[in-house]
Amino acid sequence: MATQLPDTLPPGGAPVPVSAPARRARRWTVDPEIVIPAAVLLVIIGACFVWPLVGPVPPPVGGSILNAGLPPFSPGHIFGTDPVGNDIFSRILYGGRVSIEVGLATQLIGIAVGGTVGCIAGYRGGVTDTAVMRVVDVLIAFPALVLALAIADGLGPSEVHVIWALSFFSIPAFARISRAATLRLQGQTFMLAARLSGTRGWRILLRHVAPNIMPQLVTFGLLGMGVAIILEGALSFLGLGIPDPGPSWGNMIALGQGTLSASPALVLIPSVFLFATVLSLNLLGDGLRAHWGAR
Amino acid sequence: MSTGSGPGAGHGGIGGSTALLDVRDLSVRFQRRGREALAVNSVTFTVQPRQTLAIVGESGSGKTVSCRAVMGLLPPAAQVTGSARFQGRELIGLSDADIRQHCGRDVAMVFQDPARSLNPTMRVGTQVTEAIRAHQPVSRRDARDRAIELMSLVRIPLPDRRFADYPHQFSGGMRQRLMIAIALACHPRLLIADEATTSLDVTTQAQIMDLLLDLQAQLGMALILISHDLGLAAAYTDDVIVMYAGGIVEQAPTRQLFSHVRMPYTQALLEAVPQLDRPAHSPLPVIGGRPPDPGAPLAGCPFAPRCPRARERCREDAPPLAEQEPGHYWACWFPCQDGGPG
Amino acid sequence: MAAEADVAPAGPRSRGPAGRAVLTSPALRLVARRLLLAIPVLWGVTLLTFVVMNLLPGNAAQEILGASATPAEVRALEIRLHLNEPFWIRYGHWLGGVLSGNLGSSFTSGQQVTSILAQRLPVTLELLLYAFLISVCVAVPVATAAARRPGGIADRLSMVASMAGLSIAPYVLGLVLIYIFAVRLRILPALGYESLSQGIAGNIRSLTLPAISLGLPIACFYTRLLRSDLVEQMQGEDYVVTARAKGIGPWQVLTRHALRNSLFGLITVIGLNLGTLIGAAVIIEQIFSLPGIGQVLLQSINNRDVIVVEAVVLVFAVIVVLASLAADLLYAVLDPRIRYGHSAA
Repeated sequence: MATQLPDTLPPGGAPVPVSAPARRARRWTVDPEIVIPAAVLLVIIGACFVWPLVGPVPPPVGGSILNAGLPPFSPGHIFGTDPVGNDIFSRILYGGRVSIEVGLATQLIGIAVGGTVGCIAGYRGGVTDTAVMRVVDVLIAFPALVLALAIADGLGPSEVHVIWALSFFSIPAFARISRAATLRLQGQTFMLAARLSGTRGWRILLRHVAPNIMPQLVTFGLLGMGVAIILEGALSFLGLGIPDPGPSWGNMIALGQGTLSASPALVLIPSVFLFATVLSLNLLGDGLRAHWGAR
Repeated sequence: MSTGSGPGAGHGGIGGSTALLDVRDLSVRFQRRGREALAVNSVTFTVQPRQTLAIVGESGSGKTVSCRAVMGLLPPAAQVTGSARFQGRELIGLSDADIRQHCGRDVAMVFQDPARSLNPTMRVGTQVTEAIRAHQPVSRRDARDRAIELMSLVRIPLPDRRFADYPHQFSGGMRQRLMIAIALACHPRLLIADEATTSLDVTTQAQIMDLLLDLQAQLGMALILISHDLGLAAAYTDDVIVMYAGGIVEQAPTRQLFSHVRMPYTQALLEAVPQLDRPAHSPLPVIGGRPPDPGAPLAGCPFAPRCPRARERCREDAPPLAEQEPGHYWACWFPCQDGGPG
Repeated sequence: MAAEADVAPAGPRSRGPAGRAVLTSPALRLVARRLLLAIPVLWGVTLLTFVVMNLLPGNAAQEILGASATPAEVRALEIRLHLNEPFWIRYGHWLGGVLSGNLGSSFTSGQQVTSILAQRLPVTLELLLYAFLISVCVAVPVATAAARRPGGIADRLSMVASMAGLSIAPYVLGLVLIYIFAVRLRILPALGYESLSQGIAGNIRSLTLPAISLGLPIACFYTRLLRSDLVEQMQGEDYVVTARAKGIGPWQVLTRHALRNSLFGLITVIGLNLGTLIGAAVIIEQIFSLPGIGQVLLQSINNRDVIVVEAVVLVFAVIVVLASLAADLLYAVLDPRIRYGHSAA
């Protein structure tokens, strides 16, 4: 597991909160620290989702044992084949789909559910807040891995179950962040003005709070996506994520573990892709936070 | 009250060899978002030994920046040009190691907010001994004794007991005394008090000012008081410099300045001080507008947009700072005359 | 604010070296309060675990006897293991047992859970400690060196390296390390564990690669955090200007002033991060075949051995809660503003 973030972002500066209309007048400046990782991510995502549809990519499963163990740069198999005969390049692409889907889904669920809950808790305060945060504390203290393992073991490994299990993990994290961000916003004058002008609670949340905490949530989400992808890899590595023979970067690494000394490429190739994706997500998240925070 | 200073009382432009601090054409530039901001614009003044000088101005006038430039405490992004000689030795452009040599030893500074200027997690005694041992190779025990001496010099009661306390265990005034003790650790010839009393209540302010002046007399130091408070300047100093928008706009011996105000800006500052003898419920006079943006200097006099006496010439042509009366410099085309604003 | 009548106030204020012994009410009250708050959290965790385990299809009896058992045999075992009783009764029994110090026995092996824990827990704890030490010993010097000159070479290099480091999955790092150090260079073992009784050198050797795999990504995270905080302190805080005005060198300003204050922030984060570390440790144990509690957990989930799972989860949760509490307590002890209270006259 890469690093789980605490309930606030490490220092880097939270964006300066502004009332909703003032935010619309904002200029974009192009920043290489954002553009480069974003571009890399787009390439990876594009490759995983689009290339198999357009290019000549062999199927990721059902390879013939006659083709087993071909080294990289063999004709027709640019990354070689695995011990069962499947083309590694194709497995990388399809495995990437899984990682990205899992990463994206868990963070979106986290923002939608956790972000909303935390926001409401922070805004309402009082009993609502305490109750919600106790529950969140339990969820966070609960070793989420156990739950993920349990779910996978009990319900059978599948991508959807992995998403559920990891959302269990991302929802309380987002709840904490969004609550902290909302609380920071509470003291601002424009919030008071909105309340005094009689605006209904949910409108305030929607029009004023949400746009202001969104940058922080998005940044956290990007970093969290990296964490989720690594976790999915971990589950698949343990055989509790994507079931064989469906490819996932995690179970490719697990498969390669057995032949680590003989052909390290089987471990290294998916590892490199995993690393590149997570690194780009981290860089993008960091770059966006610096960009938004330095306004 | 203003004490009579030794030789060279009041400053002349060319204080020359007797001057403790001789600043000439000091300018400081910052880069901000690609634009250059001129924070201090060609400032020239001298400080004699044992003299008390006030540098007065609103926020952003450059008073703090110029003094920090002399101390070498500006961030690396600041470009400093010009000259500042301390006892004949040039300070601008010194290497970091040389700056550290002279900081704290020849010139020391007391800052505005003692709550934030002291390290909250370090015992106060250690913070004082640190200042001592930075320049003097004394043993721990000797440093401790010396620190306790300093603490009693600045009138902190029971210094040996309070040596091991932490800053938050002191009141604001006591903390400021600690800052003074730290500043005095190595017997500086010049002490700069940067808004040292601004964050204190009035009574404490008076106590600290009295302390500073007593120490000055006792230790024979020169003192620069940086403030926005004209009352302070009037009550405690020999000479006053008024700064605006990074430059000096008026300077004179204190008595002379306040009895014959020339600069409309200084006049406006004086009027802005609440007076007891004003009719009840009369509105407080304020100086409308704001100081110019240091990144976008205007042609002409920087105060012109806000000056009640401004005319065409002021907006086109910046008036030079010149000694128009003996010892009294100002930079204005249409200065105030005696007997109130003309 | 009244004029200064700053006589040293009477009262239970600690002073000097002897004062350290007087951890008066503020700290103790903090501990008591946090412990009290922790109890419902721990209870919630155990309940949740029970619920989850209960929802899973299959039960221990089936797992033990295997697929070939007849329904009658399974039923008999279920009754013996009390698995036929309703949920609340079983939970109640277990909870009662815990509160009286009895964690029960494993369904599968019959072994006392406490003895399982005694065997396996030390390995995991040693791994965690080792990883923690590595992370701190890397993060503090690197961050300090980086903060000395923000934007300089050391800073940029370490920020790039740490960004890369925290993007690596611990299990990937583990495999890569095994390949380099065990397969190619053959200087460190890939698998297995030597206990302390077999010799301390062997013990440390067998834990080195796992500890690095666990500790390095976290170290990178701490490095970035600490460096960021240090730079903020050095550039923004007034006491730093005071320190510089004394004429002391930049290294001393950094280490004696800024670092002190930045370490506080780090302590809190370390406490919060322990949960992640534990999760990653489970996987690392798997890769390196360490007989720790992670392996036990995996097997027990597989076997539907609820008793053992509960115990392990409880232990994990307790560690996390205690670590968080310890961090807060450390904060309270080290930060003189809390330790000595606000007693400005």
